[in-house]
Amino acid sequence: MTRIEVIVPGTAASEVRRLIEHSGATGYTAISGVSGLGHNGYHQGGLLFNEQDTLALLITVIPDHRADALIAGLRPLLENASGVMFVTDTYVSRPDYFT
Amino acid sequence: MTVTVDTVTVDQSAVSRAQLRAEISVAARVLTPVWPLSSFIAVNPLGGLEHRRFDAALTIASDLYGARGTLGEAEFRAAHTTGRITTADLSEALERRFPDAVTAAPVEIGGRAHTAVDILLADLVHGSIPSPHARRLLTLSERFCARTAAAIDAQTVKWCSAYLDLCQASWVLPGRDRGFYRAWADLAPRDPRLPAAARRALRHLPPDPAEAVSQALAVLGVGSGGERIAYLRAHLTRLPGWASHILWRSNTPGAGIDLVDYLAVRLSYEAQLLDTTQLPAPTAPVPARPSDTATHRARRAAQALGTIDLDAAAEASISGILERMPVDSRPLVWLDAYETHYRRGLLEELDHPAPAPTRARADAQLVLCIDPRSEGLRRHLEALGDYDTFGFAGFFAVASRIHALANGDPTIAAPALVTPHIDLYEQPDPTAPAAAQRHIAGLHTLAATTDAVHTAKADLAAPFALAEILGWASGPVAAAKTIAPRRYRRWRTRTRARIAPPARTVIDTAGALGLDQRVQIAETALTVMGLTRGFARLVVFCGHGANTENNPLHSALACGACGGNPGGPNARAAVDILNDTEVRGKLLSRGIDIPDDSWFVAAEHDTTSDHVTILDRHRVPDTHRPDLDRLTSDLAEAGRRLAAERSPLLPGAPDRPSPHAAARHAQTRSADWAQVYPEWGLAGNAAFIIGPRTMSAGIDLRRRCFLHSYNPDDDPTATALETILTAPVIVAQWINCQYYFSTVAPDTFGAGTKTTHNVVGGIGVLTGPAGDLRTGLPWQSVAVGDRLVHEPMRLLVLAYAPHQRIDTILARNPKLRDLVDNHWITLLARTGPSSPWHHRTRSGWTLYPTNGAQP
Repeated sequence: MTRIEVIVPGTAASEVRRLIEHSGATGYTAISGVSGLGHNGYHQGGLLFNEQDTLALLITVIPDHRADALIAGLRPLLENASGVMFVTDTYVSRPDYFT
Repeated sequence: MTVTVDTVTVDQSAVSRAQLRAEISVAARVLTPVWPLSSFIAVNPLGGLEHRRFDAALTIASDLYGARGTLGEAEFRAAHTTGRITTADLSEALERRFPDAVTAAPVEIGGRAHTAVDILLADLVHGSIPSPHARRLLTLSERFCARTAAAIDAQTVKWCSAYLDLCQASWVLPGRDRGFYRAWADLAPRDPRLPAAARRALRHLPPDPAEAVSQALAVLGVGSGGERIAYLRAHLTRLPGWASHILWRSNTPGAGIDLVDYLAVRLSYEAQLLDTTQLPAPTAPVPARPSDTATHRARRAAQALGTIDLDAAAEASISGILERMPVDSRPLVWLDAYETHYRRGLLEELDHPAPAPTRARADAQLVLCIDPRSEGLRRHLEALGDYDTFGFAGFFAVASRIHALANGDPTIAAPALVTPHIDLYEQPDPTAPAAAQRHIAGLHTLAATTDAVHTAKADLAAPFALAEILGWASGPVAAAKTIAPRRYRRWRTRTRARIAPPARTVIDTAGALGLDQRVQIAETALTVMGLTRGFARLVVFCGHGANTENNPLHSALACGACGGNPGGPNARAAVDILNDTEVRGKLLSRGIDIPDDSWFVAAEHDTTSDHVTILDRHRVPDTHRPDLDRLTSDLAEAGRRLAAERSPLLPGAPDRPSPHAAARHAQTRSADWAQVYPEWGLAGNAAFIIGPRTMSAGIDLRRRCFLHSYNPDDDPTATALETILTAPVIVAQWINCQYYFSTVAPDTFGAGTKTTHNVVGGIGVLTGPAGDLRTGLPWQSVAVGDRLVHEPMRLLVLAYAPHQRIDTILARNPKLRDLVDNHWITLLARTGPSSPWHHRTRSGWTLYPTNGAQP
């Protein structure tokens, strides 16, 4: 299994979500209001009345044979906007949930 | 440790599809989502370009849409002629934008020495105006076969209208449940309007829309990478209204349509309808706009300065000065001067507010929306008694989905920046459940009758019977609506009240939210608006909405903070929370002491008639009735005075009416189904003031300023200021940009004239029967005929706050920083009531010149 974590501006989260959905992944976890420091400076998380201008973290786990396509899709998104992607091998307790 | 490497087969077609989907997302970043009519959210049509400098974004927008980004130079010159822009404004703008150019040595022309500013001014006022902007990023069919481009557009509009319909049409698109692309792929090959060869080819479309896009791009000879993204963007910006709405729709669950589907349709048509065998290379550049040569420009400036005999040295000197101000930058200089003129006047006025009242306790406090229209009501009410007014985003921190008493779909009552996670239900008042039941039954009867009539109208045979049954009444009703709209509305209201008698209801927050949640909402609202002590006996939360007839864009007049809906329900929910003794107990432990004799009341301001309705009057205790009666009377008078103030600006309204006559006229106007100017909405909006009311009290801001209450002394952690700068200011900037671009580029970013609107699918309007989905505001929201009512200027944000505090907020909010650094908004701050204004620029704070504080 491959775990892919992507941190992008809240406005780009829907692009990542759609890509994950079309990759054949069976689900994902999204966390909004993420804060941190990056090349574009510090990002404040958890703005009170604005969910769009904070960072979002999306996590998905997919079978290895589908991972390359998803990674290939995420690259152009990240080349054209701020954001980071982490790819790791992973183990899950119920593999059938993810295939 | 053993590591086993599995051999994984990579599906190359899946990789290609994912890359293409990502490239479509990247191409679509220039678009801004467009909401449907029911929740007309103001957006900046260039929102996708806010990470660029304003002037660079305008250049890109010109290439994408062929739209200009400012008023035309001819319009600016006319404003100069009338004194709306003075020569001093222009000089100031030139010094700010071209400091090197204005310090160039004077040039002798016709025996007189002229400064660089003289020469630049001559070019601004008399230089040749270049040809109009034209779209430069074109699709192949746009460039080589206009008829094919038009055919692709027509097909796109046809299928999108059919699929995206929000229950306006009686017949549902066959196969709609399978999603847009599949429904289209099944039906398009049977379309008799297509050539037989195209129909045959469309029968073999791949099942995946991304595959279809790839195939079509290959047929059209479009390369990969940047070239492909640019080409996809050309298609997305050909009908930006439809693409932007689909972008919005693709984020709603179960939409069945996204931009991949949309492009699959457009590109498949293009691949089949365009003769690709005859096409030149697709990357051939589109010519730039022609403009004057340097020589011609210099001679024209010299002529304006009084000579036609120009020697070579002088001509070279003039050209040298003028080349530092490119022709394309001239509109930006004019815009800068146009803004400077207004801003100087506003800042001078803000130096002379009315003295702060010295009384112990206000008669009442009113919290109104930050909307500029509230400013007029606040000003008139404050003049009538000892009233304190506050400005806060009109959803009052209750971002919710509100379910009305008679059910139906909930109303999203929250700013567009927030997804509401609270469901609130309007419920019968416990003291009168039977009346509520009668009310619900009546509403159901009315709804059933309306449904029956609509169904009959759509049926093949029933319209004839319907005409027999109801036709006799239609003529008199139409006549009454036309001749006596106010009386007709009164009759209709009475009739509805007979069928569904009004009932007492409540918006029950305790049943929907836990105590901690309610306390959190209450504390947030009170601290962000700076109302944490000194509570009056009556505290009114006043939302706003607009009552109009026959107006598909009515939600553009309602509360932007409530998702384009009236703010009354949010006010009702907020006061329900704040009157709760348990909530007050918790607030006390957090340092907010609301006296026992303070009562919160909900109200709603109808911005079309300026009538304020007190909501849930039955919940106000007897002890507070006299206070409420006096306030109600003063609100009525304030509304009448405001109507009289607005009247001369409304087409066809009396010029100098008495307050009573103005109020009557405003009500008639609001009830008139033929009225295209029910009110001016937020036309004229220009500034956003963050600070205590004492900053602007007693000043006639002419309903041009968003007013957000803020007291820096109560906000040592800057939490409230950060909330204001990152949410209400953002929404105000969207509104400001919507008015701005609807005015400067009405054909591209406006909704066109109301008189030719056709509502399509309940999602938007078209001009006439086809074409792009119109976004933005109708012309009648910003102008009368050729006369502009809205003055298109970028938002000026004025904050009463320490610079360091603002810097901290900007440092951790890149989006806000983009708006400031890239000149989408101008941010000025002062640290005390009489201290000078400083301008936040990319390089820090600089003193902002005004008559009261010269640098």
